[in-house]
Amino acid sequence: MMKDVYILGIETSCDETAAAIVKNGKEILANVINSQISIHQQFGGVVPEVASRKHIENIATVVNNAFTEAGLSHQDIDAVAVTTMPGLVGALLVGLSFAKAFAYGLNRPLIAVNHLQGHIYANFLQHNDIEFPAICLVVSGGHTSLLYMRGINDYELIGATKDDAAGEAFDKIARFLGLGYPGGPAIQKAAQQGQAGLFKLPRVFLDRNDFEFSFSGLKTAAMNSWKKAEKQGNYKVEDLAAEFQAALVEVLVEKTIRAAQKYKVGTILLAGGVAANQDLRTRLEESARQRQLNLFVPSFLLCTDNAAMIAGKAYHDYVNGDFAPLNINAQPSQYSLIK
Amino acid sequence: MILAIDSATPVAGVALLEAENLMREEFVNYKKTHSETLMPMVDKLLRDCDKSIQDVNALAITIGPGSFTGLRIGLAAVKGLSLAAKIPVVGISSLDVLAHNIVFSDALVCPLFNARKQEVYTALYDNRDFYPHRLSEEMACSPQEFIAMALEKAHELGRQRIVLLGDGYYPYKDLFIDSFGDKMVTAPPHLMPIRASALGSLAIKRVCQQDFDDIITLRPSYIRLSEAETRLGKEAL
Ligand SMILES: [Zn+2]
Repeated sequence: MMKDVYILGIETSCDETAAAIVKNGKEILANVINSQISIHQQFGGVVPEVASRKHIENIATVVNNAFTEAGLSHQDIDAVAVTTMPGLVGALLVGLSFAKAFAYGLNRPLIAVNHLQGHIYANFLQHNDIEFPAICLVVSGGHTSLLYMRGINDYELIGATKDDAAGEAFDKIARFLGLGYPGGPAIQKAAQQGQAGLFKLPRVFLDRNDFEFSFSGLKTAAMNSWKKAEKQGNYKVEDLAAEFQAALVEVLVEKTIRAAQKYKVGTILLAGGVAANQDLRTRLEESARQRQLNLFVPSFLLCTDNAAMIAGKAYHDYVNGDFAPLNINAQPSQYSLIK
Repeated sequence: MILAIDSATPVAGVALLEAENLMREEFVNYKKTHSETLMPMVDKLLRDCDKSIQDVNALAITIGPGSFTGLRIGLAAVKGLSLAAKIPVVGISSLDVLAHNIVFSDALVCPLFNARKQEVYTALYDNRDFYPHRLSEEMACSPQEFIAMALEKAHELGRQRIVLLGDGYYPYKDLFIDSFGDKMVTAPPHLMPIRASALGSLAIKRVCQQDFDDIITLRPSYIRLSEAETRLGKEAL
């Protein structure tokens, strides 16, 4: 029997400074997240230089708090895991430089983790009964793709967005409609007060038999509908938000279910920041139940950026002896999930 | 034993000092990014001296001004080392460190870093003693503003010569030659860039006095706001 493995995870790829300690890739002993959302709201979006400045100010406190929360000392840690891709380069470099030095100072191995693989892994932190093969829908601010998974580290990409990511489309439309930042929660909140179907927006690519997505056209259609409605003076921003969310969610859900059927899998995983969207969760749940598919979704806390998912994913690299050298660099534009 | 780490500018440097003895210095002023080079340099430096990080009693870091990303890479590394190996830290102005390349001089000493956007980071120094003595604020300003300030201060103090050094010199070389005339001298090539050994040298006094910084709250000294903050007309957030 292998001894217990404790991994410190560090995540600074965007606007959350996060540190976590996870035991055996499973048990979250600490999950500390310092969110900068209120700061970036003043700018209407994440400002990379401001995010980097906050990361360097917060990182030591966040890491210290993780050890306090876990009740562990530095020496208890077996490895240090850090997000190296994708993300904002200046932001990633704060976490990476800190993690390298912290691992070096403790004489422990460093493990490089892909942020998106971390999002997927959030499911495995919470569920013990996930069976492969599975289809995973990854939806975040920078990513929308469908994966066919045979194992945690064994998967292939079966489709992705041709243009905007789902989260990006939410952000752009929320900004356009003056609903604020971040866009996903803002649209969701407005949509709850509105009615889908009054505006008519396209379900892009739903007529195609592949697993590609496109949200740029939907975004343009929404903007045009809004300009037209404004002219006619008869409009409710909540109704457009509801229709926009419905159009986006319908395509995501339909394609995911179709993928599960085509690849004959019994399991669907949802991952990424947009997985926190209530409408997406509910509709995917309904559709999965109708087809007797097992759907797994991380809790809200683990859908947003966090370091527990990084430390969890790293456990499997630790077991495989897959460590990063001291000269490893960040790969900010590595959006591909396939190495 | 002091480990000095500098990545404030395109130069990456590390130095190891035992008491006042400089044991080894690594210096790179060539392309590769600091995030790739810095920690391997630290590792090599220690190993070549048959030391480990546990042998280090104090860390020294240039806290700015300089490249925003470079400052953060260096400080993040120092925070990581400090917390993990429980080593106290001394943060020192990168302009002080560059100015320290010139000692026991009756010239007005002017370290200059290229701040881009047609500006330099600079401050004016009196270096008649061993330690640099700052005569002005640290600032980001146009080369023209710097020239006017330096000429005025040299005149006021009756200094015959003005020493320019640092990578902020090269982009405005012709302008400086025209404006300062034969008052101007420049540092020789080995003293032109910022050196981790000079950082280590300045750190000795503070280490001996146990005058350490709080590693939790230590942050880079950017001098400039981020562009977004400037646009909003904000104070630093
Ligand atoms: Zn994310």
